[in-house]
Amino acid sequence: MKAGDVTQGTIRTPLRPLARILRARERGENPDAIERENIRLRHEAMRDRARQRAEGRLMVLAIFFTLAFMAVGGRMTILAASDPHEPEVSDRLAPITARRADIVDRHGRVLATNLVTHSLYAQPPLMTDPERAARELARIFPDLDEERLLRRFTGRAKFLWIRRKISPEQMQAVHDIGDPGLLFGPREMRLYPNGRLAAHVLGGAGFGREDVSSAEVVGVAGVEKAFDDYLRDPANGGAPLRLSIDLPIQSVVERVLEGGMRLMKAKGAAAVLMEAKTGEIVAMASLPDFDPNARPAPPVSGSPADSPLFNRAVQGVYELGSTFKLFTAAQAMELGLARPDTIIDATAPLKWGKFTIGEFRNHNYGKIPLADVIVKSSNVGTARLAMEIGADRQRVFLERLGLLESTPVELVEAPGARPLVPERWSEITTITVSYGHGLAASPLHLAAAYASLLNGGRRVTPTLLHRDTPPEPGPRIVSEEVSAAARAMLRDVVVRGTAQLAEVPGYAVAGKTGTADKPSERGYAEDKTITTFAGVFPAHDPAYVIVVVLDEPVDTTGPEPRRTAGWTAVPVAAEIIRRAAPLLGVPPVIEPRPTDRLTLTSN
Amino acid sequence: MSYLEYTVQRIPTGPRKILYMNWPLVLLTLAVAAVGFVMLYSVSGGAFSTWAEPQMKRFALGLGVMFGVAMVPIWFWRNVAGLAFALSLVLLLFVEFFGVTGMGAQRWIALGPIRLQPSELTKITLVMVLAAYYDWLDVRKVSHPLWVAVPLVLILIPTALVLKQPDLGTALLLLAGGAVVMFLAGVHWAYFAAVAGAAGGLVGAVFASRGTSWQLLKDYQYRRIDTFLDPSSDPLGAGYHITQAKIALGSGGWAGRGYMQGTQTRLNFLPEKHTDFIFTTLAEEFGFVGSFSLLLLYVLIVGFCIHSALTNRDRFGALLTLGIAATFFLYFAVNMSMVMGLAPVVGVPLPLVSYGGSAMMVLMGAFGLVQSAHVHRPRSRG
Repeated sequence: MKAGDVTQGTIRTPLRPLARILRARERGENPDAIERENIRLRHEAMRDRARQRAEGRLMVLAIFFTLAFMAVGGRMTILAASDPHEPEVSDRLAPITARRADIVDRHGRVLATNLVTHSLYAQPPLMTDPERAARELARIFPDLDEERLLRRFTGRAKFLWIRRKISPEQMQAVHDIGDPGLLFGPREMRLYPNGRLAAHVLGGAGFGREDVSSAEVVGVAGVEKAFDDYLRDPANGGAPLRLSIDLPIQSVVERVLEGGMRLMKAKGAAAVLMEAKTGEIVAMASLPDFDPNARPAPPVSGSPADSPLFNRAVQGVYELGSTFKLFTAAQAMELGLARPDTIIDATAPLKWGKFTIGEFRNHNYGKIPLADVIVKSSNVGTARLAMEIGADRQRVFLERLGLLESTPVELVEAPGARPLVPERWSEITTITVSYGHGLAASPLHLAAAYASLLNGGRRVTPTLLHRDTPPEPGPRIVSEEVSAAARAMLRDVVVRGTAQLAEVPGYAVAGKTGTADKPSERGYAEDKTITTFAGVFPAHDPAYVIVVVLDEPVDTTGPEPRRTAGWTAVPVAAEIIRRAAPLLGVPPVIEPRPTDRLTLTSN
Repeated sequence: MSYLEYTVQRIPTGPRKILYMNWPLVLLTLAVAAVGFVMLYSVSGGAFSTWAEPQMKRFALGLGVMFGVAMVPIWFWRNVAGLAFALSLVLLLFVEFFGVTGMGAQRWIALGPIRLQPSELTKITLVMVLAAYYDWLDVRKVSHPLWVAVPLVLILIPTALVLKQPDLGTALLLLAGGAVVMFLAGVHWAYFAAVAGAAGGLVGAVFASRGTSWQLLKDYQYRRIDTFLDPSSDPLGAGYHITQAKIALGSGGWAGRGYMQGTQTRLNFLPEKHTDFIFTTLAEEFGFVGSFSLLLLYVLIVGFCIHSALTNRDRFGALLTLGIAATFFLYFAVNMSMVMGLAPVVGVPLPLVSYGGSAMMVLMGAFGLVQSAHVHRPRSRG
């Protein structure tokens, strides 16, 4: 009987085999011993099988261990034989994916581009000497507080930013500290090489998601934000965004405007120079301004309109005063209610219910032709025309000029700058709106409306993008004749009216002044004005529209302070035209005048 | 069980037991620990009191624990296996609710000055309870589904608790250690094949879940996997450990830079240089010769354990010895693989060398169990 026989499927050895028990009994032995012996054998067999299996399993495990041992040992050999080298970090990190497209002016001059710079961060666990590092950093960056740095270096943080961007000199200085816990990360930053120039148009950019190897540059204001998706879209292949701004003209406008603002002690100023036929904005300035390379934080207290970030040309809505009279006159001519020589009763004062409408300095112009209503800027004459036109027609006309909606210009700030439109368009509203009170719009609104009226009568849409082909002419606002007549009137304002300082020989400036008392808490302030000049040049071939607005100017060159547009906004606009027109390529001409012809022939 | 028959007369008693201990194993343990002291002294920059001294004190205490455990008969340990396992589960639950958070995970229990890491303890008690279970279980029932389910539950409970801490490395080691004991006990092949298949499926699910709402691992765990697959993809971030470790190993060359001459570790390039990544210092300072010698020491320890188990006719003692040997093997194999970039970075220390009290005490206790099984083994008859 062998132990191996005890397997399933075969006949099991009986524990008490009868034959053996009988034989044992015969010999007088204990038959139970046979059973015990058999049980022991069976258990032994079972244990042997378990052991066999266990040894088999152990063999498998040993093979696995050996393989693992060989893998580890083999790896050790390979690594020991390898040349130690730093991973090629620079190669892998150099292509920063989120490359932002440049912004250029209409002739391709760079307004915004990218610069590879470095960020500075710290990994305190790697620092060898946090105290020295903090001391040296505070020396390199005077605005960092040494104690605060040390507290952060010795705290629980494993990572902390120290600077978002640093200059190469600063980087070298930090490198010289030699602490392994101070580390640099490459990244791109937005650079505005012209500094403050066109700051409000460009807006600015900041960092979005960032890590140590790159950072996302996102637009935070102006065209940078309005075209953020376009600028970041790799599908454009890095093609720059081309604006309608002309860099030298922008520079001229800003410099002259700033000089004028200082001279007139104004607290703010704005200017828009626009192509009359296309609506492309050649220059747009707002003062005070800022440097988009170091965009200041938005003010936390006070009026946002006093912040340098505020774009007065687009976001500032002002009562633009007498410049609105042109709309009334043009509409009256377009409707056939009047012609330039139609006599208008401008006898002052005009009583309307409980309101009395008077003239500037209590003039009384009596009965004068329509042209003189504009030239002399008669409130009463304009009011009479407005009463003829009526509220509904006036509102529709202003709406078609785009004065009741926010401008569609491509700035992220534009949609928020809605004109202040009277809620109820009553008779008296009609009268006050006709000479520019009770309705507030931005300088850009005014420029677009003037361009639409004076370019031959086609509506233009203000835009900051330069197009290579001229756009489709917009819907007609007024006829060619009315447009020409309006230009002639405005030319007369410069020649013999309220804007005589706007005369620039050779460029036939035509334009209208506007002086509005600033609204204060109670009614209108006496000595605070918004002065405006809105004009076009040359009058015989309208190419450019200019709008200049000064906030609280005062001219102190005369015996008494003068706050009207004629003495403040007009000379500034004239200086801009004087300097910008040659750069714009407008040929100076001697204006054809009936009286001049005689002089010429008599030669 | 009746088929386990101790020939008790031949098992040594009293102080004579010390003579019958597995002395080669004791000497190997001492040798590896000595390597640890030498390396800790070097890593601390030649300061004895920073890491080397506390480690030596703890090792002395651990040695005492080992001898103490070895003197107690192995059947006592078999009888308390269930209790020990239950205790470690309670501690794991305790750490879940009252534990101290260290390095982003809850792993410690602070008992006065002693900091206890129950997951370390569980590695051994799990092996104990499984060995006791298969010792008790009739060999013929080993592959019966019901009797397979019991150890499975025993393994999965602590694994889940450790995974929740979260400590992926220890959880995987628990799983692997338990599986080895089950495998050695003779559970049918098909179960392991099924588990391997399911594991493959789970790995697929883990990758598929990434970025979805039912994401199975934490982001840092995915990053570690990414980094494992391509360490240079993120040399400043999570790949830093591995990259620097590889540089350390490479600069060690064949014979190393010499004791206390390692630059990678000396200049603080490597974090956790005295714990999980201490192997890099050894590799840099003693080169291939040094690191391969340490590997050999480890393998010899495992070899002596296997030899002891082969001559042991007590099923509990044999299974326990093999289970502990496997756990020990997994420790150093995973740690070395991790340092050399063969495995993802999981927080597993280098046994007996890395600085740390809890792991060392538990390991010395486990070697005590191995010794006890060796001393009290039923000798083969004739």
